[in-house]
Amino acid sequence: MTPIQDATPKPPKYPADLDTSIVLPKQRASPASSLASLPYRTSNPSLHKLFESTASISTSRPSSGSATPTASVIPGSVFSPGSRQNGTGTPSSLPPGVSDEHRTLIQQAYAPHVVVVADNETEELIRGKGLDGGLLQLLRPFGESISGKVTIRDSVGASKSYEDFGVRFVSMDEVLGRPPVSERPLPQQNPANGQGDQGRASTTAIRPRPVGGDVAEVEELVDRHLQYTEFNAQGSVPDYLNRGEPAAQESGRSPFYTLYLRRLLSGLPMVPHETFAHPVVGVIATSSRSAAPVEELRDLYNRQHQGDLRVPQWVDGLFLRYYVFIHEEESGDIAKSNTTFDSMKRHFGLNCHLLRLKGQQCISSDDDAVRLPSCEWLSASEELAEIQKQESADEFTDPTPHIPDSDVTAIRTFVRELVAQSMVPHMERNIHQWNEQILARRRGLSGRFMSLSKRWTTFGSSRSSSASTITPSNTNYDSAGGFYRPDAPEALMRRLADYCFMLRDTKLALSTYEILCTDFNNDKAWQHYAGAAEMAALSALLSPAALTAKIRTEKIDEWIRSATYSYTDRQRSATPFYALRTLALSLELLRLRGTSATDDAARWGSRILELNLVGPIGAALFTERISACFSIRPGLGVLKLGSRRRKAAFWSVLAAQEWWRQNKALQAEKCLDAALHLYGARTESTEGGPVRLPFDDMQHFVDELRQQILGLRLANRGLGEDEEIGEAQQSMLVEEATETLDASPRAHRKSLVGAVAPNIDAGPLSPTLERTPEKDDLFEGAV
Amino acid sequence: MSYYFTIFSPTDTPLFTHEFGTSRSSGDGTAHFNATDRHLAPFILHSALDILEEVQWGPSSTAGSAPMYLKHIDKYANNYVSCWITGANVRFLLLTRPRDEVLGEVDWEGRGESCRGRLGVGGVYRPDAPATEEAVKNFMVDVYESWVKTVMNPFFHAGNGDVVKSPVFRARVAAAAKKYL
Repeated sequence: MTPIQDATPKPPKYPADLDTSIVLPKQRASPASSLASLPYRTSNPSLHKLFESTASISTSRPSSGSATPTASVIPGSVFSPGSRQNGTGTPSSLPPGVSDEHRTLIQQAYAPHVVVVADNETEELIRGKGLDGGLLQLLRPFGESISGKVTIRDSVGASKSYEDFGVRFVSMDEVLGRPPVSERPLPQQNPANGQGDQGRASTTAIRPRPVGGDVAEVEELVDRHLQYTEFNAQGSVPDYLNRGEPAAQESGRSPFYTLYLRRLLSGLPMVPHETFAHPVVGVIATSSRSAAPVEELRDLYNRQHQGDLRVPQWVDGLFLRYYVFIHEEESGDIAKSNTTFDSMKRHFGLNCHLLRLKGQQCISSDDDAVRLPSCEWLSASEELAEIQKQESADEFTDPTPHIPDSDVTAIRTFVRELVAQSMVPHMERNIHQWNEQILARRRGLSGRFMSLSKRWTTFGSSRSSSASTITPSNTNYDSAGGFYRPDAPEALMRRLADYCFMLRDTKLALSTYEILCTDFNNDKAWQHYAGAAEMAALSALLSPAALTAKIRTEKIDEWIRSATYSYTDRQRSATPFYALRTLALSLELLRLRGTSATDDAARWGSRILELNLVGPIGAALFTERISACFSIRPGLGVLKLGSRRRKAAFWSVLAAQEWWRQNKALQAEKCLDAALHLYGARTESTEGGPVRLPFDDMQHFVDELRQQILGLRLANRGLGEDEEIGEAQQSMLVEEATETLDASPRAHRKSLVGAVAPNIDAGPLSPTLERTPEKDDLFEGAV
Repeated sequence: MSYYFTIFSPTDTPLFTHEFGTSRSSGDGTAHFNATDRHLAPFILHSALDILEEVQWGPSSTAGSAPMYLKHIDKYANNYVSCWITGANVRFLLLTRPRDEVLGEVDWEGRGESCRGRLGVGGVYRPDAPATEEAVKNFMVDVYESWVKTVMNPFFHAGNGDVVKSPVFRARVAAAAKKYL
């Protein structure tokens, strides 16, 4: 699929008069230098696969969904088909051309975390299969989507099934916030393995933190992807931008933006003020290689409980433990394993599983070898490291390990059992219990009184001794450490709400977050307050219930505002990542609500830019996104009253400018085309002629920008591919002759969307552009 | 303080554009946009038309007849847009770009009372301060008067979407700007 473009190195054959005929714009040097600094990466197929796979994750799903507004074709739809069709997803059914991929993305992002520990023999066993990351690496991809539906009962007892439910397997290091132990002191067992270890040492040098939350890394990653597209956007490569092109009719859908969001939400860091990353279940694994498996498990448990693997004090250490016994098919004796497993069951109860895996390494040419699926929810630094690894790898080797088919089935069954039979019921039980014991009490009359008495401590403690016994100190908040103890009612309520949110019961989550907001506010626990406000806004926006404008302006806006403010300005250490997350997710969810909510969405988007929460790439992406927010607002009647077309166009121009500053010619051009399309839509409907922007200044600005973008693209490509120069030069000449570059929006759209245009760059070459626009100095708008 | 004033025809064609600066507090009456703002000004005004239509056709904030002066309607970054709408649906848009240095200084028109904290984007300049609104209103009233006289001129097709070229009109706008802004 990837013809090697540089397999036959061609001597650069520049036309002799090239330099005289083209006046390349001044930006030429910068992309050249940036290209030079890039590792050469056009020819590595596995690398391409990596870029493609990441982006296709973000494109493939929406592109199937966005074709129809109801998006019922999405395989992993948020709701079961029945409830989905009648548009409960968002109250007013989605505006046409809007897919709710981001809503799905957000729901999937907040998934329960499962911490995985295994004893040394087991890790060794898995490494023997060619997986350097051990058991975690083996399990992780399978946790991201559970096969089959997962049925969850919400707080009122109604069951709902979800197809796209997932969990995140994390390592203990992540939970402890330690830098990952790149090399465990391992006894080198066989010399054959030694080489592998050496190879690993070189790669683990850049082994990344699996924890996300770093905006700079996300930016860098998306930048990598953008650069890859920029310099590899030749027609021969099945470029994902082009593949997604028909779907791109939905204004402003960019795979890069989706990637940005996804990486922003990947690897939520462990923090006291939210419990999403706190482990819900701990998997403890041992194997048939270990001499005394039951003792091994017990030992691991004890280490987690009070030893070196103990969780921080603001995390509840009493999460559910799930014991796994891995039976190695080749060397293990199944009868013996069965007896061990039986004794495990006797000791540890029902939360046990016997996982049968093959021990030897599997290579891709094996009959039943299956490529280990790639993780969708890698953190940005992990993916960066992956890209680096692939770049440095030699050609045609695919470093992704392969595992036997039977293993895949076994693991899928295991994960499904873990989730559906242990984890979800456990969470439901907890929700139920906390709801009755804490929330109900807090909500009742006495609870209100308690919170009152807490506020005026002097009265509370002097008058009602009962209140003072419940809260011996004035507050449960440890302001020095900045956390609540895990058994404090506030912390439990927060976990209750988070569990509800992860199990997609937004109603109970919302009401709990609301209570928490007031509590945290009283305690002046700003970080916690911000977290609760953020999640309150998100759960209100995610809930299928309709939102009146009043609720939106009075409550949700307030939550978003105070969350952003508390995350950034109110406390000593600002946490801009969370503020960005709040604003970005609110933007997405508000946008889906349609009509006037899109204005709010755009407002929060510009807020992101104003607060400087993002770097240059993010700024461009969000500018583009604001344009998308405005553009989906439908107008009324023939005149499209109340639409935000001009706003959308304006922001598109801004985005184009921003992309151009980042040397991303393709993106810039896409935005500019979108802008012209938006500007021209009204004129075109009456006239069909070329679009002239109302102001001469505007026209001039846009023309100039297009010229610059073209120059940039030439520079980008001229370095990438020599034979294109002549063609490009031709287009350059055409461009100079006509002045009005984008003569007819209709024609241009065709050239973009048409199935025969895998090469976007051919845009200016389309014949319509050579048509000189009839020079009429009358402005069409006045007719 | 720099201003960018544009009159839009009902079909969104700009009929008249005038750029000026403040004449108060030793302002020299010329605009001091920086390059980026200058380029974006037409875009900002044009995009404000969306909001304008919303305000225009939305529920009226005042009792009785719809007001011609719609006050501050839109903003982009540090650019504020105020609007006046005539009976013939011709829109006067005034873009105000406060000087960066104004932020934090004591303002001569009493426009900004106090710093609104780090969250305030414009800082001191407040487009909805009564003094600001009044000054812009006075300016708009003057321009409107001249505008009506101009479009009533039978030898001139300004009302039909012709660009206003009259130097007299320009002079009057400049005079109004000098007087009030």
